[in-house]
Amino acid sequence: MQTVIPTTSAALRSLLRADFIAQWRNRRSVILVVLVPVVILFAWKPLVAKIGGPFVLGNCITIGLNAIGLMGYSNAIARDRDKGVFQRLRVAPTPSWCIMLSRLFVQLAMIIILTLAVFIVGYYADKISISARGYVTALITAIFGGALYLGLAQAIVGLVKSPETVNAVSRLVYFIFIMVGMFAQFPGMQVIEPVVRYSPYGVVKDIVSTGLQPALWNQDTTISFLLTIGYTIVFAGIGIRNFKWNSK
Amino acid sequence: MDTISDTPILSVSNLNISYGSFRAVRDVSFNVKAGEIFGLLGPNGAGKTSTLSAVEGLLKPQSGVITLAGFNVREQPLYARANMGVQLQSTSFQPELNVSEIIKLYAGIHGISISSERMRNILEEIKLGDAASKRYGLLSGGQQQRVSLVIAMIHDPQIVLLDEPTTGLDPQSRRQLWVRMESLRSKGHAILLTTHSMEEAESVCDRIAIIDHGKIIAIETPEKMIELHRDNPEVIKASRRGKITLEDVFIGLTGDAVRS
Repeated sequence: MQTVIPTTSAALRSLLRADFIAQWRNRRSVILVVLVPVVILFAWKPLVAKIGGPFVLGNCITIGLNAIGLMGYSNAIARDRDKGVFQRLRVAPTPSWCIMLSRLFVQLAMIIILTLAVFIVGYYADKISISARGYVTALITAIFGGALYLGLAQAIVGLVKSPETVNAVSRLVYFIFIMVGMFAQFPGMQVIEPVVRYSPYGVVKDIVSTGLQPALWNQDTTISFLLTIGYTIVFAGIGIRNFKWNSK
Repeated sequence: MDTISDTPILSVSNLNISYGSFRAVRDVSFNVKAGEIFGLLGPNGAGKTSTLSAVEGLLKPQSGVITLAGFNVREQPLYARANMGVQLQSTSFQPELNVSEIIKLYAGIHGISISSERMRNILEEIKLGDAASKRYGLLSGGQQQRVSLVIAMIHDPQIVLLDEPTTGLDPQSRRQLWVRMESLRSKGHAILLTTHSMEEAESVCDRIAIIDHGKIIAIETPEKMIELHRDNPEVIKASRRGKITLEDVFIGLTGDAVRS
C-alpha cells in the first residue's frame, strides 16, 4: 500500500479553519481585548488636544497588543497544552510548526482587528484623523509590536507549565506593563521614564505612535524598532527553546 | 485469528526510555501483525504509556528501533503517522469545536475532504446523528470514545493505537467498543491496545504482552498465557476462586503490591 502524506497547505488550511472557529466562539474574550483600548480612548478624550491624537492611539493599540499576547495567546496555549489538544494534533501527519503557525495566523488577524478598531473608534469618538500613509505604517508597526508580545507570551508558556501559573504570570506582566507604561508618561514620573522608554511597552508604543506620523520617524524610533525586533527574537527564542508540548 | 498475517505492521526492537536516571522502558521488543489485536498489560507505571508514546513519536527513546508500516518512526515520522490511528488516554479536542468540526479538522489534516453526506453517515454509524453540532466536552464518556475512534480511523490506517480506551465506560459502551475493535481486525487493521482490564484482554486480544518495571515479562495468547503459568505458585496464590484466570496470572507475575 502506497503511503500518501497530505500536503502541508491542506493541513494548514484545516488547522486555520478550526483555530478561527475556536477564536470566533471565544468572541467574548476578543471583545474584552478590544474593549480596554476603546474605554481608554473615551476616557482620554479630553487629553487628545494636550498630548496629541497619535500618542493616544499609540498607547491604546499598545495596551490592546499586550492583551492579545498576555491575556489571550498565552492562556489559550497553556490551556490546550494542559488538556492534551496539542498531543492529539501531533500524532497526525502534520509538522509541529504547522500547529503553531496556524495559532499565530489567528493572532495576526486579532492584531489587525484591534488596530483597525482603535483607528475607527479614535476617528469617530475622539475625532483623531491621521493620513492614509500614517494608518498603513501604524498597522505595520502594530504587527511588529504584536509579535513582541506574542514572543513574550511564548516565553511565559515556555518557562511555565501550569496553566494557572501562566495565567497569573501573564496578568502580572500585563498589569505592570500597563501601569508603568501609562503612568510613566505623566508629570512627576520622569524618574522611571528612561526605563519605560526602552521597555517592551515603551518601544512598541513609540513605533506605533510614530508610525501614525511617519514624517516624525527619527533615529530614536529606529532604535525602538530595532529593540522591538530584538525583544521579539529573544522572547520567542526562549519560548521556543523551552516549550514542552505536554504539561505533564 | 485466521485473518492474522505474518507481516508485522509494527515492530519495536530493544526500546529503552529513561526519564532522568529512571529507566521507564528496558529493552522492550514486540511485533504487531496485520489483523491482530495486541494487548499491552501492566500495572501503573510499568511503561505501557511510555512505550505507546514512543510508537506515536511523542517521546524520543534513548535507544531502540520502531518501524511502523515499514517506516522508521524517528526518521520518517510523517509517513509513520499517516499509517497509524491514535486514541490517546487523555485525548482532548479544542473545547470550542463541535463534533463535526473536529472530524472535519482531522480529516483535513489527513488530506481527506468530507462531504455533508459522508459526515451524516459517519455520525449515524456511531449513533451520534443528532450530535453533529454538540461540543465534544458535552458528550458522554461513551460518545466521546466513539468520536475519538472515528477520528483515529478517518484515514483508514494500517494500525490503531488505543491507550486504555474503555476506562470509565459503562458495560454497554465497553462491549460496543470491543465489537468495533473486532470489526477493525476483521478488515485487516492491526490494533495495539493498552488496558488494565484483564476481561478486555481475554475477550478481544489475540496476543498479550505483560510489561512490568519497564520490561516485557511474557508474550503469549491469553489462553496460552494462562496455560503456561497455571502451575506457578505465585499464580496459584493469586487465584481467588480455584479457577486460574488471566488476572491471576497477571497478579502472580507482577505481584500484588499496589503501584503508585
